[in-house]
Amino acid sequence: MNHFDYTAVEYDIRPDLPEAYRKVWEKIALPGNWWSGADRVAIAAETRAAQTCELCKERKAALSPFSIEGLHDTSTNLQPIAVDAVHRVVTDVSRLTENWLSECVEQGLSHEQYIELLGIVVAVVSIDAFHRALGIDPELLPEPESGEPSRYRPATAKEGDAWVATIAASVADGDEADLYDGMRQTGNVLLAMSLVPDSVRLLHTLSAVQYLKARDVMNPSRNGGRHISRAQMELLAGRISALSDCFY
Amino acid sequence: MLRESSRLEGRPVDLQVITAGDKVEGGVPAERELVAFAESAIGYDADATRQARDQLVATIGEQGMVDAACIIANFQRMVRIADATGIPLDKPVAMITAGIREELGINSYGAAGNTAPVQGFSRLLGKFLNRIVPLIFRRMAKKQAN
Repeated sequence: MNHFDYTAVEYDIRPDLPEAYRKVWEKIALPGNWWSGADRVAIAAETRAAQTCELCKERKAALSPFSIEGLHDTSTNLQPIAVDAVHRVVTDVSRLTENWLSECVEQGLSHEQYIELLGIVVAVVSIDAFHRALGIDPELLPEPESGEPSRYRPATAKEGDAWVATIAASVADGDEADLYDGMRQTGNVLLAMSLVPDSVRLLHTLSAVQYLKARDVMNPSRNGGRHISRAQMELLAGRISALSDCFY
Repeated sequence: MLRESSRLEGRPVDLQVITAGDKVEGGVPAERELVAFAESAIGYDADATRQARDQLVATIGEQGMVDAACIIANFQRMVRIADATGIPLDKPVAMITAGIREELGINSYGAAGNTAPVQGFSRLLGKFLNRIVPLIFRRMAKKQAN
């Protein structure tokens, strides 16, 4: 199937966007480091199911998101702790805590699985958000590929300031030499996913077409050749962050 | 980055536009249309989004609107990564933005606790850096232009 065919869309969409989105879809369908292809596509499906989940709505309205118990409106056979993590990241991420993540680990969701899951969720959220902004129906999810997860954990990942281990830019070499585009210092948001290096690569694929290449982010005179200025880009970035209660 | 990019573009903005939306005039070209587009798109309101999209196309053109949709999409990803992993603000950024964060009231956001408060010497250093950062960025921009 030809995913992300925008020929019938009423707006002229840069070709690098569907190219990148197709790459992301292909990656999601493949076995990852900690989840099978079927699990990964199920995580993508749960990302969408979360948006209409009654339990999530109830939790979002509650004073504490941890005070409401119940069952999610689920669309897959994914293990319940993974479903819960997906739904919370999609619908109420600003109220997640380190304690909550520790409880997920106690219930069998490893940090590595969590980061890979997060990488898929945020990729689907952002591609769906692009479609929604342009009034395009969500893209059909890919068919999962068979195979086993590699269980690769980078040796250079160490505990630090985040809730999970990360690879510092200064020690990213060998198989991870490409992770930060050769930069010896980078923003924490890039480091955050590095326990699963392929999740950082997925992030780069999307950021480079939706925002900027990592190398250009810290240079405020760069706008990546877009048709809006860097200040207009940053206004949107700041407003979305504020509307999402995001401190970062 | 909004502050620095707008300074480089010769139109310093009122950063309150980030938290107050269309209640303040920030000074960014087409900001009303951009903010309306962002707010409607993140609010899952298809009719309001269509209206905001049409207004934005009329103001900055179709390609600009598509690029704006990209930023809206991108930052719905980034905010989730930041909040779901508990990362603190990068130290230099935390020092430089301590005052702005207080002014904008974003220290009350849930994830603010992941970043240590900037106090004492770091606070003073942040004030100093605040003065030289625009110079550094101006140099970067000049270097790039050459």
